[in-house]
Amino acid sequence: MVETSQRSTDPPLETAAATPKSARRKSYLASTVGVKTLMAITGLLFFLFLVFHLIGNLLLFVGPSTLNGYSHWLIVNPFLVPAEIGLLAIFAIHVFEAVVNYLRNRAARPTPYYQPVRRIFGRGWAGKPSRKSFASTSMILSGLITLVFVVVHIIQFKYGPNYPVTSPSDGTPGVRDIYRLVTHQFSSTWIMLFYVFCLTVIGIHLWHGLTSALNSLGVDSPRYTPALLKTGRVIAVIMAAAFLSLPLWVYFVWS
Amino acid sequence: MVLQTGVLAPERPVEQDIYRVADNDWRPQPPLKGPLADQWDHRKDEYKLVAPNNRRKHTVIVVGTGLAGASVAASLGELGYNVLSFCIQDSPRRAHSIAAQGGINAAKNYPNDGDSVWRLFYDTIKGGDYRSRESNTYRLAQLSVNIIDQAVAQGVPFEREYGGLLANRSFGGAQVSRTFYARGQTGQQLLLGAYQSLMRQVDAGTVTTFPRREMLDLITIDGRARGIVVRHLITGAIERYAADVVVLATGGYGNVFYLSTNAVNSNASAAWRAHKRGAFFANPAYTQIHPTCIPVTGDHQSKLTLMSESLRNNGRIWVPKKAGDRRPPNQIPVEDRDYYLERKYPSFGNLVPRDVASRNAKQVCDEGRGVGESGLAVYLDFHDAIERRGKEYIRSEYGNLFEMYERITGEDAYETPMRIYPAIHYTMGGLWVDYDLQSTIPGLFVLGEANFSDHGANRLGASALMQALADGYFVAPYSIANYIASAAPEPISTAHEAFSESVYEVQARINALLSVNGHRTPRDFHRQLGHLLWDEVGMSRNDAGLRHALACIPQLREEFWKDVMVPGTPDNKNYNLEYAGRVADYLEFAELMAIDALHRTESCGCHFREESQTPDGEALRIDDEFSYVAAWKFAGVGAQPLLYKEPLEFAFVHPSQRSYK
Amino acid sequence: MRLTLLIWRQQGPDVPGKMVEYEVNDISPDMSFLEMLDVLNEQLILSGSDPIAFDSDCREGICGMCGLVINGRPHGPNRFTATCQLHMRFFNDGDTITIEPWRARAFPIIKDLTVDRSAFDRIMAAGGYVSSNVGAAPEANSILVPRQAADSAMDSAACIGCGACVATCKNASAVLFVGAKLTHLADLPQGDPERARRAVRMVAQMDAEGFGSCSNEGECQAVCPKGIDLLNIATLRREFNRGVKMGAK
Ligand SMILES: Cc1cc2nc3c(=O)[nH]c(=O)nc-3n(C[C@H](O)[C@H](O)[C@H](O)COP(=O)(O)OP(=O)(O)OC[C@H]3O[C@@H](n4cnc5c(N)ncnc54)[C@H](O)[C@@H]3O)c2cc1C
Ligand code: HEM
Ligand code: HEM
Ligand code: SF4
Ligand code: F3S
Ligand code: FES
Repeated sequence: MVETSQRSTDPPLETAAATPKSARRKSYLASTVGVKTLMAITGLLFFLFLVFHLIGNLLLFVGPSTLNGYSHWLIVNPFLVPAEIGLLAIFAIHVFEAVVNYLRNRAARPTPYYQPVRRIFGRGWAGKPSRKSFASTSMILSGLITLVFVVVHIIQFKYGPNYPVTSPSDGTPGVRDIYRLVTHQFSSTWIMLFYVFCLTVIGIHLWHGLTSALNSLGVDSPRYTPALLKTGRVIAVIMAAAFLSLPLWVYFVWS
Repeated sequence: MVLQTGVLAPERPVEQDIYRVADNDWRPQPPLKGPLADQWDHRKDEYKLVAPNNRRKHTVIVVGTGLAGASVAASLGELGYNVLSFCIQDSPRRAHSIAAQGGINAAKNYPNDGDSVWRLFYDTIKGGDYRSRESNTYRLAQLSVNIIDQAVAQGVPFEREYGGLLANRSFGGAQVSRTFYARGQTGQQLLLGAYQSLMRQVDAGTVTTFPRREMLDLITIDGRARGIVVRHLITGAIERYAADVVVLATGGYGNVFYLSTNAVNSNASAAWRAHKRGAFFANPAYTQIHPTCIPVTGDHQSKLTLMSESLRNNGRIWVPKKAGDRRPPNQIPVEDRDYYLERKYPSFGNLVPRDVASRNAKQVCDEGRGVGESGLAVYLDFHDAIERRGKEYIRSEYGNLFEMYERITGEDAYETPMRIYPAIHYTMGGLWVDYDLQSTIPGLFVLGEANFSDHGANRLGASALMQALADGYFVAPYSIANYIASAAPEPISTAHEAFSESVYEVQARINALLSVNGHRTPRDFHRQLGHLLWDEVGMSRNDAGLRHALACIPQLREEFWKDVMVPGTPDNKNYNLEYAGRVADYLEFAELMAIDALHRTESCGCHFREESQTPDGEALRIDDEFSYVAAWKFAGVGAQPLLYKEPLEFAFVHPSQRSYK
Repeated sequence: MRLTLLIWRQQGPDVPGKMVEYEVNDISPDMSFLEMLDVLNEQLILSGSDPIAFDSDCREGICGMCGLVINGRPHGPNRFTATCQLHMRFFNDGDTITIEPWRARAFPIIKDLTVDRSAFDRIMAAGGYVSSNVGAAPEANSILVPRQAADSAMDSAACIGCGACVATCKNASAVLFVGAKLTHLADLPQGDPERARRAVRMVAQMDAEGFGSCSNEGECQAVCPKGIDLLNIATLRREFNRGVKMGAK
């Protein structure tokens, strides 16, 4: 019944610590740390674009001429194309790494637990001081929704109908009337609802993403982290609320 | 505790039936030269060396990865030997040494309070009640200093003073502060230091680790240790490994008592099987009992948890005056309480040494005055200390201990007195070794708690870690080289018939365990053996009790082989099978322990024979008769072992009697 | 107490496993969780069935050998408590308790509730040490270590290598374990010379073992029996980035 194995001592046959040295990864960007650094940097850069984009979009509240003037300035700006290419690259890297990272992480935990701890909202599944949240568990989902959103959004706006400005009160006649485009789009119930949904999702992405990015870059300290965590969430809420104000205002107030 | 089978002890056997005494004068030590302080240097100078380019050709098996095993394996690896390191746990880092809390002694004299190598040596040999060798103990004190240097260099985060220097504290009633510590996790940190060095050697290719292996036999060829047979605890495969030297660092045998503070995988098997192959076993009766453990709550209990002795600095120990007084502690008025340590030892009170405190606790419980559900506990009351110094003070001193106590018992010790009881904690006995840490089998070296060498009949607090590391880092690497250089072992194949025979025996034993198919679990037998030993070979021993034990153990053993139940198969992870094998060994080993306790009719250190006490009821040594190491030679299971006496001579210190009145 | 236990049974690494229901009676609230399983195992042995395989050794929360996922939480419901230190008084009569092994690709299941954590050893072998040969150590007090540094090193060094952090992390990431070792040794002057190499090699080995990356969820800290702080993870990243920058291999 008992198996006998004949073992000599040389060469070593088996060891818990036979280090598969060849398997050790060499490239920084392929490492689990490198991937997250890249995601954090691209995520934060894209966040900066969002801030910029938000401020621009908020000119909607000032009036058509200001918004159109601003967007015209953007469109004719010689740096626009390089900036767009940069933005696209950032976005593409973020998305690509997100997917790679997600797949790798899923492979690291192939079998789920029979009994997951169920707590969808509220702080942390495992209790204090966990930071796990609905947002943190659904990053890939919120990310993918954002991806769909961005594609739809760009088709809708950047490559959308090119209304020219007709009345001088709306800006320089002849330039693109973004004000009209935006108000027109958001007047549709479906589009409004789509935006409300997606912008909320983006807020959720940022809820976890902002401080997470700092952590991924190695920023963490007992002194500042609690404040950083709060700030990150506050900013996420502000961002989402500010973005949301646009479709909601157009739909409910403007029209 | 009466045997459950209800068989009465047979007629008392007479002495000759129990053991035999070897008649030759046994002087097994290498001759040591010069004054104590120079002996180790002299000895090292005599040692032969192995050339660096030859070391790789020599294989050393190290069984055990505790402080002793990990440190010797790492050191030999650094020197370039081919080292094979075995342990039961899934990682070398989990060896039992990890659990040591209090600290490690070293004669650094950093606090400038008058410590020295001599003083540490003197305290150790006196603490051991003059039952250890001067030469070994002195070397231990000498090497203690280097251990701290080594550990610090490895990154062991010892406690520091604000100035960045190492901090020390006084431990276990020592008059100097010579204990180094890393919070309450000194053993863990020292072991991680040794483990990390070991893993470094694994990466360097000199050490190969074999976790989840249990050594089941020692291979001797031409009278020398040449290999081991192990069971792979996952696949069940019986594997053979050959080597030039075998090192056992397999820890103590405290678990023979079933309940102890040892880890559940600690065992006597490796040492016992080596003993059966010819290694002498020394002083098996010397077992240490720690007074402040959390008491047993029921039969389900699997191990005991130690609480720091420092609790006795502020707690008062008492039991009710009347036997059977079941009132809750807070309702027992002071006049009905017996603060028995304060009463009997007015000058030391609650701070009497470990063995005295333990014995007295047992005594009051035997009188039926024990407290708690089981009646096997005494109160350690902080009420007065809280009243005197405030709850906050107590919390700052003992907060974590009170928490641990509450976690285990569900009681708040600030409100109600703690219940404590003594527990088996350490075993001073072990395989006999000479000054070079070599056993009576050439090529078999024994290190750490597994050997008997340095603590005599009682070990001082914080000196087990010191001994395990001194053995592993600083003694064995030299003496093993000397053995290899002088004995020049020839390469051997695991196909040698000695291996085949052993594998056959090991398998036969496994199959035997699996095929009994009886009605009782190994745990059940172990528990019964433990109760018996605790009662008769525990804190306080007497002739009748020991003979009773000696009558019961063989019966229990017989019953085990008739009625044990081990389900499952041998070819996968089968903890119960491993465990049954260990219990079978305990059932053999326990007999030797009781014989040793019976033959030593003096009291010394932790070995208290009721027949040998001072008028005040303290341990009475009989130096004329018993100033020797009792080294036992195996003669067969149940057969009379042969006693060899290694005389202990004290050329540098003078044995004195202790008193705590 | 009377309890219903739902326990993961799996004969071997490559055999599919399943949850099996058991009943235990007469469980005393004074028992530890593992003693409760001991009782169940005694019953199973006497009925001639294969007892449930689980690991434990010290049974006082320091060796890191034990580890069960109890009701979905590694080491059970209490903070700073390893499985072996959990007592039955934290459960109620009539409870149903689910017991599962650690689950991670890098920790293959050996049998029932036992997993293979040797990946941790290999990570340690890759660099989790200070290279100081025996005999070469300088006098211990010759290098001053600020008390604060020693304290914070000790905070990280307290890790018992149990793997609960991996078990709980949705990515089965080992960064808390590895970060704790990197922090411990980086905090001390003795560990400083090898910092760069150590970080690069340990992280590389961690990745090679198939652990995931860290999404900064912090579940690991919450279940860690020693409360190892997330700061250790940030340190891991800094140490790794620094090591890569310095060109360590
Ligand atoms: C709770 C507690 C607290 C303590 N506190 C202190 C303290 O503060 N100071 C102090 O100085 N001492 C203390 N001690 C004592 C000290 O911890 C031990 O004596 C010491 O650690 C023993 O080390 P070791 O290397 O000899 O053996 P261990 O650490 O016991 O290691 C034994 C090794 O052998 C292996 N092994 C055993 N049998 C086999 C086999 N058959 N096959 C393969 N491998 C095997 C095991 O896997 C393990 O790796 C304490 C002990 C306890 C129980
Ligand atoms: C509005 C655009 C986006 C912004 C501002 C943004 C920002 C961020 C930030 C700051 C992080 C934290 C990075 C870290 O933890 O280190 C993050 C994480 C993540 N992002 Fe995005 N992101 C955006 C779009 C997307 C898209 C389109 C995807 C598509 C898949 C995505 C997927 C993820 C995922 C999966 C994570 C979690 C990574 C992890 O598990 O740690 N994100 N994002
Ligand atoms: C209510 C909110 C928003 C409004 C009103 C809005 C409006 C616009 C408009 C008008 C354009 C076209 C600009 C042009 O071509 O000149 C645009 C472009 C774009 N928007 Fe938005 N946007 C909103 C939210 C978002 C969000 C949340 C994201 C990101 C997740 C986003 C990402 C982009 C991108 C990537 C472009 C293309 C930029 C370029 O190529 O120049 N927008 N947006
Ligand atoms: S970090 Fe905590 S949970 Fe992870 S292995 Fe160490 S002790 Fe266990
Ligand atoms: S739970 Fe996992 S995601 Fe990071 S913070 Fe802990 S490793
Ligand atoms: S058994 Fe050692 S930590 Fe639980």
